[in-house]
Amino acid sequence: MTIGPPDTTVGVEEHPASAEPARAASVAHGKSPTRIAMDRLRKDKVAVTCAVIVVLFILVAVFAPLLAKLEGQDYSAFHTDLVDEFGFPLQGPTAAHWFGVEPKTGRDNFARWVYGARPSLIVAFTATLFGTVVGVTMGLLAGFLGGWVDRVISWVIDFVLSLPYLLFAIAMVPIVESWRGGSFNLSPEEQASTRFYVLIFVLSFFGWAGLARIIRGEVLSLREREFVLAAKAIGVPTRQVLFKELLPNLVAPIVISASLSLPAYVTAEAGLSFLGVGLVEPIPSWGQTIAVATNWFKAYPLFLWLPVIGITLLVLALALLGDAVRDAFDPKTRR
Amino acid sequence: MIYFVARRLISALSVVLVTLIATFALFFIAPTDPAGAICGERNCTQQRYNEIKQNLHLDKPKVQQFAEYTAGIFAGRDFTTSGVTRHCGAPCLGFSFKNDRPVTEMLTSRIPVTVSLVAGYAVLVLTIGVLVGSLAAKRRGTMGDRVLMSSTLVISSVPYYIVALMISLYLTVLYPILPRGGWTPPSENIGKWAAGLVTPWLVLGIYFCTSYARYSRGSMVETLSEDFIRTARAKGLSDRKVTYKHALRAGLIPVITIFGLDVAASLAGAIFTERIFDLPGLGVLVLDSLNSYDLPVIMGTVLVASVVVVTMNFLVDIAYSLVDPRVRLS
Repeated sequence: MTIGPPDTTVGVEEHPASAEPARAASVAHGKSPTRIAMDRLRKDKVAVTCAVIVVLFILVAVFAPLLAKLEGQDYSAFHTDLVDEFGFPLQGPTAAHWFGVEPKTGRDNFARWVYGARPSLIVAFTATLFGTVVGVTMGLLAGFLGGWVDRVISWVIDFVLSLPYLLFAIAMVPIVESWRGGSFNLSPEEQASTRFYVLIFVLSFFGWAGLARIIRGEVLSLREREFVLAAKAIGVPTRQVLFKELLPNLVAPIVISASLSLPAYVTAEAGLSFLGVGLVEPIPSWGQTIAVATNWFKAYPLFLWLPVIGITLLVLALALLGDAVRDAFDPKTRR
Repeated sequence: MIYFVARRLISALSVVLVTLIATFALFFIAPTDPAGAICGERNCTQQRYNEIKQNLHLDKPKVQQFAEYTAGIFAGRDFTTSGVTRHCGAPCLGFSFKNDRPVTEMLTSRIPVTVSLVAGYAVLVLTIGVLVGSLAAKRRGTMGDRVLMSSTLVISSVPYYIVALMISLYLTVLYPILPRGGWTPPSENIGKWAAGLVTPWLVLGIYFCTSYARYSRGSMVETLSEDFIRTARAKGLSDRKVTYKHALRAGLIPVITIFGLDVAASLAGAIFTERIFDLPGLGVLVLDSLNSYDLPVIMGTVLVASVVVVTMNFLVDIAYSLVDPRVRLS
């Protein structure tokens, strides 16, 4: 029932592509395993469709100001003249407001929708980046150095993985806010930016451990292989062994883990925002809009369905793409 | 075996201890201001602020505060507020800042809700998941298998709370096909209790059985290709007996392991279900405490949840090592 990082690495453990040194696998076709995987991915229709959808969402997020300008609306401007005394919008979608306006405030739905794509993607990509960098570094160090370094890092990994992640994410919010002086003293902008960074921090903090464990296991078996022993024997410095010899052989688990983390983080961001512990006004986010829209869903379903479709489509595309990436790197998991 | 259990036990205890220290540090040593939070923003005089600080022992050294908090968990402790002493019984997690009730009491009043939810979920998810998974494994490669497996992939790729929210809004509120979620203690009216939980159970069960179906399919496919299955077939056992008596038993072991960990995690992860279906469980308690900066309640819940998860991890490890002795060597 948990939602988020702890699940993202399920099934990543088996990937023969990475167990073989890069050179050995390339003999047959003269291609690297990554190239072979990319070729497989390009032939996978589901993967291509999902990739196109993901790219579309990224474009929407990047060009959100342009799209809003095209419509001629601003995402934060109030239009109280467009809602009645009970806060209900007086009009549906029009030429001026393509997706109608928000109840109560009368803000433009289309502008808020395109801007809403931004925090989801920024949070997910940043957290994936941090989680991957930390996870790979920790895994490499633990696996390669062994001894007490390995024992300490492995203990930390077990520790992080055994914490109830969702509860910690929620508990971090009031703590960090009170570090900055308590929510009473924070302006809405300050509170929103605090929440934004807390989200990225929490997601990366709980996201690195799973990958680190996998990388450690891989390194443990790789470091005994001839090409690593040879490199060490001719006196290649440790850093170079780690990054030039070992890292290229770890591409598969890293790519798989990252591509499975992205949908999990988008889900987590929107979910926490929906619960009221993620992003807050004035940052527009889909999760928040869903929470508000549940009060209006009978009379104004469009308001609810816009963010619901946004999140569902984005997460579905990312998740299926992640699954296809795993299949491409490891044909054994293919159904 | 004893060595293995001892090692796992020490590691589990060390995790609990560090969680205790870490949460305490986060909540009370970091520059948070509990006294200010209780006192409120308006009409908080310096005198009242100091009084609160004294009552909560927030003016004492941090190490002493931590020692008192830890001692309170095992032996209980006394709080003195303006001359009146109150005793806080053995697993003492302090008093709520908001309504002054003991945190332990607040938690225990919420636990039946979350446990009812998770118990129903556990039964459904395991039976449906394993059934679907082993059916698919038996018909591996057929059209039915492919349809089942792709649909589980698609279902589990949609965020859970979206599915739960839409079902709650459209199937229990707008078109009341399913009973609305809600909480009635089973001691009061068992029919009402079940009615309020049946929709969340179904939603949880159907959504999360997808991952169980995939685990058990994978595990069963592997087991069905093993030698002892071939032997069973060769000695003329019926297909049903081979699948459900021989293969399922061996194939279920990894699934049960995941199940144990998942049930523990669910106790803490039921927040979305509780919020969407109006169930006043532990998760909702945390969310409600959040707005009032009720740190003792949040800290208590986090601690209890961590202990539950660590204990389950430990038990699963031990159980697994009993079933599969190879684990002990690693």
